[in-house]
Amino acid sequence: MKRMKDWPFHVMIFPSLLFLIVFSYVPMLGIVISFQDFKPWLGFTGSPWVGWDNFSMLFERKDSAQVIWNTFIIAGLKIVFNLVVPFVFALLLNEIRKAYISRTIQTLVYLPHFLSWVILGGILVDILSTDGGLVNRFLVAAFGIDPVPFLSSGNWFRFTVVVSEVWKEFGYGTIVFIAALANINPSLYEAAEVDGASRWKQTLYITIPSLLPMAVVVGTLSLGNILNAGFDQIFNLYNALVYEKGDIIDTFVYRTAILEGKFGLATAVGLFKSVVSMVLIVISYRLAYKLANYRIF
Amino acid sequence: MYHKTIPYRIFNVCNTILLLLIAICCVLPVWHVLAVSFSAKAAADGNLVSLWPVGFTTVAYEKTLNNPVFLGSIWVSLQRTVIGTVLTLVLACLAAYPLSKETYAFRGRNIYAWLFVFTMIFNGGLVPFYVVIQKLHLVDSFWVLVLPGAVNVWLTILLLNFFRGVPKELEEAALIDGAGHFKTLFKIYLPVSLPALATLGLFSIVFHWNSWFDGLLYLNDKTDYPLATFLQTVIVQRDMSSMSFNPKELELLSQTTVRASQIFLGALPVIIIYPFLQKYFVKGLVLGSVKE
Amino acid sequence: MKRMIWSLVMIMLVSTLAACSGGNNGSNGAATNTKPEATQEGNQAGNAGSESSYKDKYDPPVTISTVWGIDPELKFKNNETIENNVATKWALDTLGIDIKTLWSVTDSNNAFETKMRLSLNSGNDIPDVVTIGNAQLAHELIDSGLFREVGSLFDEYASDTWKNAMALDENVWNPYARDGKRMGIPVLDYAYNHDYLLWIRQDWLDALDLEAPKTIAELEHVMEQFKNNNPSGLKPNEVTPLSIGTKNKLSTWMGDPSWIFGAFGTLPEQWNVADDGTLEYGSIHPGMKEGLALLRDWHSKGYIPQEIALWDENQTAAPAVAGTAGIIPGPYWMSGWPLSDTATNDPDAVWKPYPIPTGEDGTAMRHGTHYTNGVTLISTKMEHPEAFFTYQNYLFDNYADPKEGSEFENGLFKNYDYDIADDGTLLRWEDIPGGYVNAVRYLLVRDGARIPDAQMKALMNLADGKEPVTRLEKEVKAAYGLETPAAAVVLLEQEEISYKNMFTGPPTPTMNSKLDYLNKIELTAFNEIIYGNKDINAFDDFVAQWKAEGGDQITAEVNEWYNGVK
Repeated sequence: MKRMKDWPFHVMIFPSLLFLIVFSYVPMLGIVISFQDFKPWLGFTGSPWVGWDNFSMLFERKDSAQVIWNTFIIAGLKIVFNLVVPFVFALLLNEIRKAYISRTIQTLVYLPHFLSWVILGGILVDILSTDGGLVNRFLVAAFGIDPVPFLSSGNWFRFTVVVSEVWKEFGYGTIVFIAALANINPSLYEAAEVDGASRWKQTLYITIPSLLPMAVVVGTLSLGNILNAGFDQIFNLYNALVYEKGDIIDTFVYRTAILEGKFGLATAVGLFKSVVSMVLIVISYRLAYKLANYRIF
Repeated sequence: MYHKTIPYRIFNVCNTILLLLIAICCVLPVWHVLAVSFSAKAAADGNLVSLWPVGFTTVAYEKTLNNPVFLGSIWVSLQRTVIGTVLTLVLACLAAYPLSKETYAFRGRNIYAWLFVFTMIFNGGLVPFYVVIQKLHLVDSFWVLVLPGAVNVWLTILLLNFFRGVPKELEEAALIDGAGHFKTLFKIYLPVSLPALATLGLFSIVFHWNSWFDGLLYLNDKTDYPLATFLQTVIVQRDMSSMSFNPKELELLSQTTVRASQIFLGALPVIIIYPFLQKYFVKGLVLGSVKE
Repeated sequence: MKRMIWSLVMIMLVSTLAACSGGNNGSNGAATNTKPEATQEGNQAGNAGSESSYKDKYDPPVTISTVWGIDPELKFKNNETIENNVATKWALDTLGIDIKTLWSVTDSNNAFETKMRLSLNSGNDIPDVVTIGNAQLAHELIDSGLFREVGSLFDEYASDTWKNAMALDENVWNPYARDGKRMGIPVLDYAYNHDYLLWIRQDWLDALDLEAPKTIAELEHVMEQFKNNNPSGLKPNEVTPLSIGTKNKLSTWMGDPSWIFGAFGTLPEQWNVADDGTLEYGSIHPGMKEGLALLRDWHSKGYIPQEIALWDENQTAAPAVAGTAGIIPGPYWMSGWPLSDTATNDPDAVWKPYPIPTGEDGTAMRHGTHYTNGVTLISTKMEHPEAFFTYQNYLFDNYADPKEGSEFENGLFKNYDYDIADDGTLLRWEDIPGGYVNAVRYLLVRDGARIPDAQMKALMNLADGKEPVTRLEKEVKAAYGLETPAAAVVLLEQEEISYKNMFTGPPTPTMNSKLDYLNKIELTAFNEIIYGNKDINAFDDFVAQWKAEGGDQITAEVNEWYNGVK
């Protein structure tokens, strides 16, 4: 077949590109303020240059390593579970044959996404309290254990943060996979049925492979959040007892840069996070291309 | 047939029960907010409400529904959501189609793809963005809610991956018939991508419905706020120590029950839209259109 | 097919054009915006010679431009906005002052601070007058050089009422002084607004036949009785004998624990005058160790919330409102809010105010309230700075403490914060037709004009049994709780134990780089000790670490500042 001219492709992309140039690339020039002690009234050109000072503010604190590690581990766990749980949930949901039950469950698990952490934070503090909180009362009665310090001990705090995040978001994350399931060609199942393949085999050899590309895409893109551990959630839940395991880059930036009007520091931290994300995404993209010959984007 | 076998039936029952239990866990917080919204103020402030209203009253809803700012903000949110979602979907379809091609068909695609992805990862922060918004005279304009986020790279990439799943035979047939790329996109790709478009639409709707920061910073007047911005100004606790309120004002500020009713009513439209969109997630849609 | 392509090309062309014209507008805007700047400078130069143009009313009117951080709860009625409302009309009609709004933002999530900083970027919309509540931002703006010295203006134009109010505490200027120049006018607030006392369930005390505790030891006994012998029939684990929280700070405005350390001679998280006259940081005082040991003991006995590290200010109010808390420390006005709701949940509940209990040697301390809650800055480019004083003088002379029969005797604006029915009765709050609007917040300076001691004087008069006649007396009676006058008396009985944070200057260089970390290790150490996770000697480790990690340097810098203003 004769190769078609590709000018329509450029035309189709142009509007989006225009928006990106205006609202993303032009403002991106402002990254220069990472290297300035930026004062709004002096502007981009008038603010004093400070070299790498803003970056050393992030790296030279006594707790820098701790904060960065906390961010990485919390965000990493969230990325993994926010991928695995919706994936499995979508598979399980796929097995429910009565459409109305399936749809009801889908709608219900989608609800927590719409409550902000300000509200959920208050609810969690209540139900997870060691002093008569609902969950601890249940655990004590059912298993006879001591109340669990879900929010007031560092390791438990990480656990609580990850679990509550997954609980809030998995229903929303499931939607992508439900849509991907709908995209699977039914004739594949029909053929398997004829061959007498069990449901488990069908899942293993048709459903999961069909969903994998989408899972890789979602997973790779979520690597962009590898240093975003969820400001709203942590900010509403953390306290002095868990700073050691729960203070993250974003809460640190909020306290020392946003509240203080230090735009240079805030931008420098943003740049650091972006570079780390970029590296991971590039690696992931290359791996997917090499191993599976699949271009994620 | 596998679903007639005994082990599968047992699995199915357990599975249904498990998923229902999980679903109930997800409803409880929303249910709690609902219970608070129907409770008496003193009980709510005393943190006495769990899953059932204490001192049932609808006063909170009367106040909320009589609040013109709240109602106005829903209207702004609706406008923003509809216009923003349509714009996002149009741009995403146009961009995702060429990007879904392989490099041999579209040589520039990799450069474009990385140009798109790059904006997802890097940004200049608040200051330069504000300057751009200001230079474009978007401050205090409705369009500041729609235009800056019009291109949603995440959704575009999602869509391009869905487009890759469109059977190649369909496209080739169309091209052989002499259809151009625009026609192929609109006549072939879009009709078979309804589940994907429904997903994208839903994500875009939810994104617009929940965004609050742009409204807060770029709009001057509270009556122009979208709902999420309005709610944000209401639910965030404030440090009373830095302000000089009298107790009567503080009482007006601490309307736990009214806040709960606003949260619930505010989320209602996007909650309702989901079951409506679910009918597009039906299996076999793709095949159905192939046969047509 | 072709048609489709064409239409798409058209769409793109249109959008490109739109974008280009947007760009054009942008540059146009920038071009026109440079002009006023130039003319303003010219005007300023021209006016330099004729500055003593103070008038009680300006004809033709003069303009004062400003920006607003609007409280999220502020209401508007009669289709008014912040730009155009009863207060701006009043200023124009009465004083000949035209208030011009450059921009406004609903002040939530630090939006005002952010927008203020961002707006300076464009350079052209510096407000003539702006009132800033956030100390950090105020210092930044003062250091920007965009705002002028105001001390001389104040000396020249301010009325006697205002000057006298300002003179009640000479230290109010300190935070905004730079090299002896006064760069911002302090916004005065009522004294003791955030001093606190103990609110105790009187009905529980009576049922147990107990006296109100005067010492920490007596307090312990009361808490023990409240918990284990509860008059409302609550089980021990259902009672919160003393509702306090340490989530954000140890020194705060409601559910505050800092007075416990006061009994041992220190107040945490503020700079106190040490015996040698220098300033020392209260959290490293040896008294802290004893206070922490006591809190740790109370925590293990269940006298204070078990999850105290998770409890913020509002959370401490919840058990008090629910009727399960026995004691809550807080401001004198708490009977108006939130404690007024307790009676709904427990009809027998009666809250009474009591003084802060003392330590064994009779020591007691509580953190004091500064007389100021913000600062007003005046732009170097303002043409008629005297007009601002016309505005404020009028409010201080007529509104701050109006006597019976004066213009503002009932409130600021009729049909907004008060109304009068046809039969002459005074209407307030929900009774006002169209609803209550706190029009004071429409005024140029937050809260209009407050004389620090006026509110306490009004409360004392009410406590003496006087009928309310002045505006403040009426307002206090209408807006504050029933117990408030009695609480004010209790508060003033202990006037001598109120200690303000003595450091009010701009953040020192070391604070900028180290303070966040120091605050973090402080709050962590204290909470670990209270929870019993760490030995009490962890306090000594904390002090050593605090000093080594920059605390000593901060102390030196703070004292350098102190020597400059002392």
